[in-house]
Amino acid sequence: MKDSRRYLDPVFLSTLGNMDLVARCAVEGFFSGLHPSPFHGFSVEYSDHREYHAGDELKFVDWKVFGRSDKLYIKQFQQETNTTAYILLDSSKSMSFAGDGKISKMDYASFLAAALSYLMLSQSDSTALTLFAETVTKYIPPHSKRTHLNMILKTLQHNKPAGQTNLAGVLHTFAETTKRRGIVILISDLLDDRDDIFKGLAHLKFLKHDVIVFQTMDHQELNLDYEGLIQFEDLESKQKMRTFPRSLREGYRRRVAEFLDEIEKTTGNTGIDYCLLDTSQPLDRALVAYLAKRKRLM
Amino acid sequence: MSFIEWIFLLGGLAVAGPLIAHLLAKPRFKRLPFTMLRFLQSGQVQSQSRRKLRDLLILLLRCAIIILIALLFARPILHLRSKPKQAKHLYSLGLDNSMSMAYSDGDTSLFDKLKDSAVDYVRVAEPDSLFNICALASGNWQEELSQDQALAEINALDVESTSATIADFLSGLRRANRVKHPDDTMSVFVLSDFTPITLHQFVRIADPAGMDEIDYKPMLSSKPVNNAAIVEAHVVSMAEGKLTISVAVVNYGAIPQERRLTAQAGSHESPPVNIRLLPNQREIYPVQMDIGDAGPETSFWPVELSLSEGDGLQADDTFYLAVSIPGQNDVNVLLVGESEHELFLLKTAMDTLSRMSTYNALRIRQISFDKVSASDLKWADVTVCSTITDRLGYVAPDLKDFINAGGKLICFTTEFIASGAIKQLWQQGVLAALPGKCVRGRTYIQPKPCDHHISGVDHTAAKSLSNYRIDKILLKGYLECEPHANSRCLWQLQNGSGFVYLKPLGKGRSIFVNTSADDSLGTFTKSNASVAFCQYLLGQDNQIDEHCFVRDERVILPLPDTAKQEFWVETCDGKKRRAAAADMSLLIPDPAGIGWVKTLGKPTLYAGINLPPGETDMTQPDVAELDNIMKRVFPANVERDVSSADVLGDKKPRPIWKVLAWAIILLLLIEPAVANRMRR
Repeated sequence: MKDSRRYLDPVFLSTLGNMDLVARCAVEGFFSGLHPSPFHGFSVEYSDHREYHAGDELKFVDWKVFGRSDKLYIKQFQQETNTTAYILLDSSKSMSFAGDGKISKMDYASFLAAALSYLMLSQSDSTALTLFAETVTKYIPPHSKRTHLNMILKTLQHNKPAGQTNLAGVLHTFAETTKRRGIVILISDLLDDRDDIFKGLAHLKFLKHDVIVFQTMDHQELNLDYEGLIQFEDLESKQKMRTFPRSLREGYRRRVAEFLDEIEKTTGNTGIDYCLLDTSQPLDRALVAYLAKRKRLM
Repeated sequence: MSFIEWIFLLGGLAVAGPLIAHLLAKPRFKRLPFTMLRFLQSGQVQSQSRRKLRDLLILLLRCAIIILIALLFARPILHLRSKPKQAKHLYSLGLDNSMSMAYSDGDTSLFDKLKDSAVDYVRVAEPDSLFNICALASGNWQEELSQDQALAEINALDVESTSATIADFLSGLRRANRVKHPDDTMSVFVLSDFTPITLHQFVRIADPAGMDEIDYKPMLSSKPVNNAAIVEAHVVSMAEGKLTISVAVVNYGAIPQERRLTAQAGSHESPPVNIRLLPNQREIYPVQMDIGDAGPETSFWPVELSLSEGDGLQADDTFYLAVSIPGQNDVNVLLVGESEHELFLLKTAMDTLSRMSTYNALRIRQISFDKVSASDLKWADVTVCSTITDRLGYVAPDLKDFINAGGKLICFTTEFIASGAIKQLWQQGVLAALPGKCVRGRTYIQPKPCDHHISGVDHTAAKSLSNYRIDKILLKGYLECEPHANSRCLWQLQNGSGFVYLKPLGKGRSIFVNTSADDSLGTFTKSNASVAFCQYLLGQDNQIDEHCFVRDERVILPLPDTAKQEFWVETCDGKKRRAAAADMSLLIPDPAGIGWVKTLGKPTLYAGINLPPGETDMTQPDVAELDNIMKRVFPANVERDVSSADVLGDKKPRPIWKVLAWAIILLLLIEPAVANRMRR
């Protein structure tokens, strides 16, 4: 692993402790790892010249043109189009699952949210954070100031997963309460009723939001690589089941794959970007997905 | 099915173990929080039922293993219902083919008569009868023979040069009795001359063998018995080139014997000795033969003693006596002591021994320790030292050479011994034991020296020492000794301390005697046992040995010094066999007859093999007494042991332990594989 990629490794990030540091390491590690980066030039760019009118700020006068032509021209720049990013972070109990014991889905999702927030705010996008389980548990309204990042990171750092998932309800609520369009980034394990999830996402899409879904899954959730007799206890429903995982593994994997395929197909059909994240993998896939989305919007 | 060791069936209760474990045991599992239970649950029902089935299968497998092991130990016998069959008649024939049966009274021998009687007996039996035939001389059984096979077996039977063994015959009968079908009839027919030696074996039978029918026929000569035999022979002396042998001859018959007795050894033959024996008379006759002066080396003589022809049995007219005559060498004895007085007793004892010897003379030279030199040791065959002084340390290498060359060193000791000399002698490997500190304890000599044969000492003399009440001889002290690794403690004191140690070294031997030749440690050499003790120490080289064995005896010959460990021997039947040497002895395999056993190659050793004494005693049995004996040994209509065979009626018992053993092995192989699969 390159040194820069190291900062995208969730296990490494979990050792940092400070969420600000996590966000910075993740994003800077991400960018320094891109050579050449396809994402440069999002900052303010030159567009055209026009004649100077009284009242124009002198700092925009193109003095070089004036030197050549003795006429005052103002440099016109492409107008910055700030967008609002709404990060919806699932904080239900199921997100606390850590299959290999190294990093939980919640930690991974928090790092991702932090990194995205850092990235957005550094691009002067307004960023909002919504934590939810059965209902919205915490809402930080959108702001584009850099100092806003501190609040987001502090909230992420003190967030504890609890409660059951009611994703559909939260999405509907969010859709109804949010007036301004923007990029809705949903970070969740999507362990809820499929139809309800799709309805909620469709609601967002109907309101012209650009939606990115990051489904965070643990490696064990995807593969069920346990051995021996195990009593599984559901984190949310508290149901128990004793079994030899090996005997169920094949069917389990098949059913999980079907579930993920269905989500991917449905989101694809409705124009929603979908990214499945394995908590054992680095964060770069998520960041690439976000930046690609934003580029399309710009 | 029945069980021989039914008590082991209780072991089957051990199945309770796995059953209880199955019922009570909770499976060990790991608790894990999980999120996607709904994806697991749909496959769970099928998995659970399969797991329960597999658990049950493992339980059954383990229970089956335990039950099968219990069954195996109980030794089950499966009784297969066989086809109803007619009861058959089983005849057991005991045919005496011992050497006495070779007696012939003119036309035919007793053994020919026996075969005729046996053939007649077999021929009159029912055609579907079965026959067991035991040759009494060898004790070999031929079992379940058809009529034709039995006749062939009888015709093939021959006389063997040994006595009848009744114990083997009886044990075979009991075995046949145990396994026979309850409805079968078992008859026994004994054909023998019932010589006293055979009859005595019947008398000694304590456990009778019950039979349905018993018949016997004494094979006796119709005429008065005419038989004499040489039963014993011993060497009396060897002097002036003449070997004198005393020979015991017995008239076993009812006719007076006038025969001639001769001895022959190679080309040497004795003049015939006329013998006259009345019926049942035993007489000893001296036979003298000139074999010339003994040479320097030991010579082996196969002396064949024989009676002239004139009776009905030739085999007992010859007696085979192997004699080994040691080489005639004067023995040079070097007595080394502090002073002349110290060795006075020893010298006196040896002078006496020399005078007593009929064979070798002892030439004694007496010197003091200061004058011991290599030339003295070169002269000596035996060196006797009264103690260990510094001078012996100086000549330790010479002493080692002396022993290696075949000399014998005998060291007595006193409480004052030179430690430096001991160290040097010990380093050279000359000493049989390392003497330590002196114990002034009063102890007696243990009167039982080592029983087994040790070359280098005279065991006959050792036995005779007991006559001198040596256990009453009190020693004033002794040395604590540590024997050498190659040494043997031949004799102990009563407190367990070593008294005489012997160590072979090269061709010679070193003997360490834990007492003094004077009065410092012991009084042994002052006692009247000193002469016999000297003879014990000097060895048995001057003794004439006889190597004469009985047919059934184990043949062991003492070996002279040789590095050979394996010999080829020619046995009495003229065949070559391999014999192994162990502990200075040669173990001869079965001599296969009577006559000579000899080693092939050097050294040539002989062993004479003779008939068991009394085998050809043809004294005819008293008919009434014989009848009583046979009725006692073979009681009719005696209830047999209730064994499994009786209980089973017409079922054929078949032990099934092999099947069980294979089943257990198979299950033990399957069990781990199944259990391992279950854990997945």
